[in-house]
Amino acid sequence: MSSAVLEQFRRIGRDLFVAGVVSSHGGNLSVRMGDRIAITRRGSMLARLEERDVIETGLSENDANVVLASTEINVHRAIYEATAAQAIVHAHPPYAIARSLMCDEIVPIDSEGSYLLHKVPVVHTELTAGSKQVAELLPKWLKEYDIVMLRGHGPFAIGHLLEEAYQLTSVLEMSCRIMTLADGMGEQIREYRKGSERYETW
Amino acid sequence: MEVARLWLGGRGLGTYLALRERLFEVDPLSPENLLVVAPGPLTGTGAPASARYSMTSRSPLTGTLFDGNSGGSFGDALRRLGWDYLIVSGALDEPGYVTLGMVGADDASPAGPAAGFHSAGDLWGRDVPSTLARLRELYPRSEAAVIGPAGERGVLFASIVNNRGRSIGRGGLGAVMGAKRLKALVLGHGDRRPPVADPERLEFIVYEAEKLLKANPITSTALPEFGTAVLVNVLDRAGALPTRNHRETRFEGAAAISGEALKRDHLRRRSACRGCMIGCARRTAVGDETGEGPEYETIWAFGAQCGVSDLAAVVRANYACNRAGLDTITMGSTIACAMELTELGLLPDGPRFGDARAIVELVAATAAGEGLGAELGLGSARLAALHGRPDLSMSVKRLEMPAYDPRGMKAQGLAYATSNRGGCHLRANMLGPEILGVPKMVDRFATLGKAGLLINLQNLNAVLDSLSVCKFTAFAMKEDYYARQLGAVWGETVEPQELLSLGERIWNAERLFNLAAGFTRDDDTLPPRLLHEPVADGPSAGQVVDLPPMLDEYYISRGWDEAGVPTAVKLERLGLLTVAAAAGVPPGRRQARGADADAP
Repeated sequence: MSSAVLEQFRRIGRDLFVAGVVSSHGGNLSVRMGDRIAITRRGSMLARLEERDVIETGLSENDANVVLASTEINVHRAIYEATAAQAIVHAHPPYAIARSLMCDEIVPIDSEGSYLLHKVPVVHTELTAGSKQVAELLPKWLKEYDIVMLRGHGPFAIGHLLEEAYQLTSVLEMSCRIMTLADGMGEQIREYRKGSERYETW
Repeated sequence: MEVARLWLGGRGLGTYLALRERLFEVDPLSPENLLVVAPGPLTGTGAPASARYSMTSRSPLTGTLFDGNSGGSFGDALRRLGWDYLIVSGALDEPGYVTLGMVGADDASPAGPAAGFHSAGDLWGRDVPSTLARLRELYPRSEAAVIGPAGERGVLFASIVNNRGRSIGRGGLGAVMGAKRLKALVLGHGDRRPPVADPERLEFIVYEAEKLLKANPITSTALPEFGTAVLVNVLDRAGALPTRNHRETRFEGAAAISGEALKRDHLRRRSACRGCMIGCARRTAVGDETGEGPEYETIWAFGAQCGVSDLAAVVRANYACNRAGLDTITMGSTIACAMELTELGLLPDGPRFGDARAIVELVAATAAGEGLGAELGLGSARLAALHGRPDLSMSVKRLEMPAYDPRGMKAQGLAYATSNRGGCHLRANMLGPEILGVPKMVDRFATLGKAGLLINLQNLNAVLDSLSVCKFTAFAMKEDYYARQLGAVWGETVEPQELLSLGERIWNAERLFNLAAGFTRDDDTLPPRLLHEPVADGPSAGQVVDLPPMLDEYYISRGWDEAGVPTAVKLERLGLLTVAAAAGVPPGRRQARGADADAP
């Protein structure tokens, strides 16, 4: 694995933790490298990634390294199998998770979220961490949306680059924080976006 | 509709028809070659920057499958007549032109194809503006795509031009048209609206898309204000502006030929293709002459590449190409090749770097086939080979590379080497991620880890050329916007990832065509200069392109074998096994690695 790839993991991992969208050992990242995948080690701390914390293994076939890979590796592999994604970010952002407990889709009300996301579907499975159910369900949704929320667990975001997937994750959490703040004010929202009633059809 | 779902339109449809008609077996300048003229499903629907169409054929310059793509209003006119494509086959006995869809006149038909064949008369020999003007006199509400003297004479990089300065350029499809003795395709005025299944939804998506185009500084400010020439100073500062036949990567005269200088000294007004809100085109003037352009690549080709810092001469050379119907990139880079041959004593009395007068005169000589112009009309690869130095042609698969030096942006080297139509920035331009930060900035000097990003760009561009929308929209929009627009036109959900898969399918089909035509891994390369001559100074000092590992990574990521042939698993996934078999291309062998080499 090149030093440039490792540096991407280190930067994005640190930023995710500093932004408060993963716990000390939560979340995982991966990039696709041809017929290989580089993914964070199971139980690694995203804020403190070292070379040994980024595991390279086959994209569709296991080798010995799979024993070290993230619990979610099968979900990542299924997403790569179904999409042209080159990178995946999975985080546990608290405001987005809280909102996912109450709705079937998240439609941001802020400008940045409206431009970049329009709408984020919320899906659910009985088993949420690294399960076959998740591996079967998420790729179907990610063929249409670049970020999808798994209820109670967290979003999976895809991109051509790790930074793109990170941006979507960050924007979703910020949008959910704003929605929570706005909810708490208890006032009617004054709409400023033409056609926003159609965002649910995005 | 089944064909449309698999190939979309435009470039994809042209690829399908070129394979079906086995154009990989024909001489590009023979009557057996075809010209497929096709707009896309978004053309004329109101989708942003969608007034485009493609022409596809086998190129006389490269021998590859070749599609060119042009804006203006010709594509709209095709759709207003209700046509998804035209095929031009055979050849005329005498020079002529064809009218289609005319109301009244000599081929009275309310809307149907009803082709009218006409003698070219005094149109043959006219330059492009004169031909277009005469046809507009004869057919006041028409749209025409024409060739100039260069196409008539078979210059291997002759263009087909519509709307004065909008060209099907690069690969010499103008020479294909000239070999058919076809001066012009003239379309009557139709009143059909392209079908849109869900116009309200399309309106919503277009509104959202235009918000992004207005918010993005590239599409809302830089391109409208300076045109594509805004890139001269950007690439020069990055040390990626090829200079004097790619001997250097910075040009001391960059400021004098920049977009800022063009705006200050020559711009008269902006112009745009029909319905485009970006408006990157320029109406310019120099002395008593007025015309379209020049674009960034043209300024580079006649400017930095030839060592010329006289912008007025560059503008004149551009006008001369527009009049003759010549591709400016190949013209300029071929002159630059001649300049280097001259400096090495291999071309007696040839032009020298920095000679502003020569660039204008040599364009005219090339169009007329006179003197050195007859050799220049073959393109730089044949010119350099004729004089014993094939390495001095800055081309890939005989197509001259444009204005982005891959020693300063490494993945652009991979993009050129793997381009299905030769050295071209329109198959995929790493300018976005390596220079402008679109979608995000990557390390431009890094060699590995970029193949997947490049492949996605190549696949996306195959989609955009097949939908027939302008690639500049992709500075602001991601693939989901195109998928949602197409979904509204078709009246169903089109997943963005499905659209990228269709792009991958088109790319692989083009690869099959080229394999059937005899191209191999050896053709996926770069001029030796870029591989072995380090940049002497500037921001890219010491850099060369380390291509082999990038190519290996690319083939694996594509699901191709070591020879660059799609494997059976890849072909099956893309539904191309039958196409490959019909083209006589056996599937590639699975690469011998620990993991599944056929993974997408």
